[in-house]
Amino acid sequence: MTDVMTPDPTTTIDDQVDARFKKVRRRRIPKFGVMFGTVFLTTLVVLTVLADYLPFIRSPESKVYIDGRLQSNYKLGPGWDAWWGTDGNGFDVFAKCIYYARYTLFIGIASTILGLLLGGALGMLAGYFRGKTDRVISIFVDCLLAIPALVLAIMLVSRLDEIKAEIPFIGWMSRLWQIVFTLSILAIAPLARIVRAQTMALREREFVLASRSMGAGNMRILFREILPNLVPTMVTVAATGLGILIAAEGALAFLGLGIETSWGFMINANRARLEKAWWATIFPCMMLFLTVLSFNLIGDRLARRFDVREAAV
Amino acid sequence: MRYFLNRFLQLLLVFVIVTFTVLVVMRMGSDGPQALAIKLAGRPLKPEESQALIDQYSLDSNYVVQYLNWLKNLVFHFDLGYSPQANMPVADLLKPRVWTTILLGLYANFFGLLIAIPLAVHQAYRRDRMFDKVGSMATFIAVGIPGIVLGVFLKLAFVVHWEIFPSIGDKVYPWEDLHAHFMNFFLPALTLTIPIAAIYTRLLRADMVMTLQSDFITLASAKGVPPGRVVWKHGLRNSLFSLVTALGTQLGALLGSAILVESLFDLDGLGSQLVVSVLGRDLFTVQSFVAVIVLIVVVVNLMVDLSYALIDPRIRQARALG
Repeated sequence: MTDVMTPDPTTTIDDQVDARFKKVRRRRIPKFGVMFGTVFLTTLVVLTVLADYLPFIRSPESKVYIDGRLQSNYKLGPGWDAWWGTDGNGFDVFAKCIYYARYTLFIGIASTILGLLLGGALGMLAGYFRGKTDRVISIFVDCLLAIPALVLAIMLVSRLDEIKAEIPFIGWMSRLWQIVFTLSILAIAPLARIVRAQTMALREREFVLASRSMGAGNMRILFREILPNLVPTMVTVAATGLGILIAAEGALAFLGLGIETSWGFMINANRARLEKAWWATIFPCMMLFLTVLSFNLIGDRLARRFDVREAAV
Repeated sequence: MRYFLNRFLQLLLVFVIVTFTVLVVMRMGSDGPQALAIKLAGRPLKPEESQALIDQYSLDSNYVVQYLNWLKNLVFHFDLGYSPQANMPVADLLKPRVWTTILLGLYANFFGLLIAIPLAVHQAYRRDRMFDKVGSMATFIAVGIPGIVLGVFLKLAFVVHWEIFPSIGDKVYPWEDLHAHFMNFFLPALTLTIPIAAIYTRLLRADMVMTLQSDFITLASAKGVPPGRVVWKHGLRNSLFSLVTALGTQLGALLGSAILVESLFDLDGLGSQLVVSVLGRDLFTVQSFVAVIVLIVVVVNLMVDLSYALIDPRIRQARALG
């Protein structure tokens, strides 16, 4: 408020216009953050998908031998023989980090999609029909928010093995799918809230009225008029949410409740030896951090692009 | 007043639904009351022992009766149940640990606000300058960094590299030994403080930028109120809304990170005990712990609701009229 914009008297209008154009032109180049996020994730996906065929990535099941001697007990530090060192059993930390990205990314993406479907559907119903539907769904969402996400995840993951005996149709659930299911439940509440708010605003718009006056039913309005307008919001929230869910997956694995092929599990397994072999703990940490950061950076860019306030923080 | 009553009933309903669901989730998936009693006890039982357990918790009835039984014990006797694995009442398991988590939460919120408010005010006041840009970037990274990663980094720096703090934590309370308390609680509290301070800073900055553009701020500066007073009094007070909301909504996330931090730094608290009980299949304890956590969350959210009126006179008035 103290800054008052005063045009510099020495420049002409043309100069100012030129300067503005330059500013616009410069924004064509994506910001460093998004660049970083995209490049990191692309590299990670390429490496993890092609890991079986790339010569410089060992198999995560093969132990590192040098001159016929097993490099166990954190013998190798980061270097040429094993880029990120070896862990307590003589496995290559780099290979493990790359291979485990498969599970992490799969869990993140699958649970985000599932959460989008469930949370999006609930949010749309609540925002569109309002009244009693909204009441019931809102209380359900409040209930989900009342339990801290990680507590809910811990509780569900630890019980699903026994619960699945009692409920039909979920007997096939492996550990991996149990985690996907649990994490998608965590994603429901925030998604439903945002989608509900957006739907409430959208249903008052003219194009919905126009569609209704032409005789469109509720389903047609929801799917043909409202849903397409929700896509930008959903994509934005999904990108940020992916980062959060991946962090949650790491946390579960860290606590010993997730899958064993996970960065979180590596961190927990090696953290007692942080003093002796920092590499076995720090590199999985870096992978987790950079992956989450990349998704956050992309989500932030999308939020600016589509002007989604709720996902900003 | 009606609003608060409404809100109170709503949160009560949420508490009942959540604790009931937790009970069902914890007790599902066993064949009959006998098997459930054995599972709850965590060891093989003689028939008369399991019968006693079944009678005590009415395990042979449906979940609603079991829940009412549990709720009755909780409300009238403050009885959270019995942990067979620790061989003591759950309340006794809870009491010595609950302060660890509460202290960590208080430290994180207190220091979080202490960092966030000056930072955000300065950022908003000097918007788009260097300080603001660097600050925004730093808080952006700090918001996203996973709790375990931050904890491990801090541990590497302070414990392994500089050797300032002990490598194995021990819960010492400030009323026992202040120095030892500081040595043990500093890093866990810091791990919790950094993300929460970043979240508060971002929220407050965004709010404050909007506030500083409003007409009454221009008016205040125009009539000669000094800039410091404009920003700190007129600006800050009218920007606190989302910050106070965040105090409530971030509590869940804070309790979640507390679980991780307590496990990582070997502090014996509510969170680490919860993990131990979950891994040990100690169903009663988990159920009661979750109930306590939900109760804390619900009560804090109610308090946040009440405090809106303190911050914003308009709400106080609107509610008094409505």
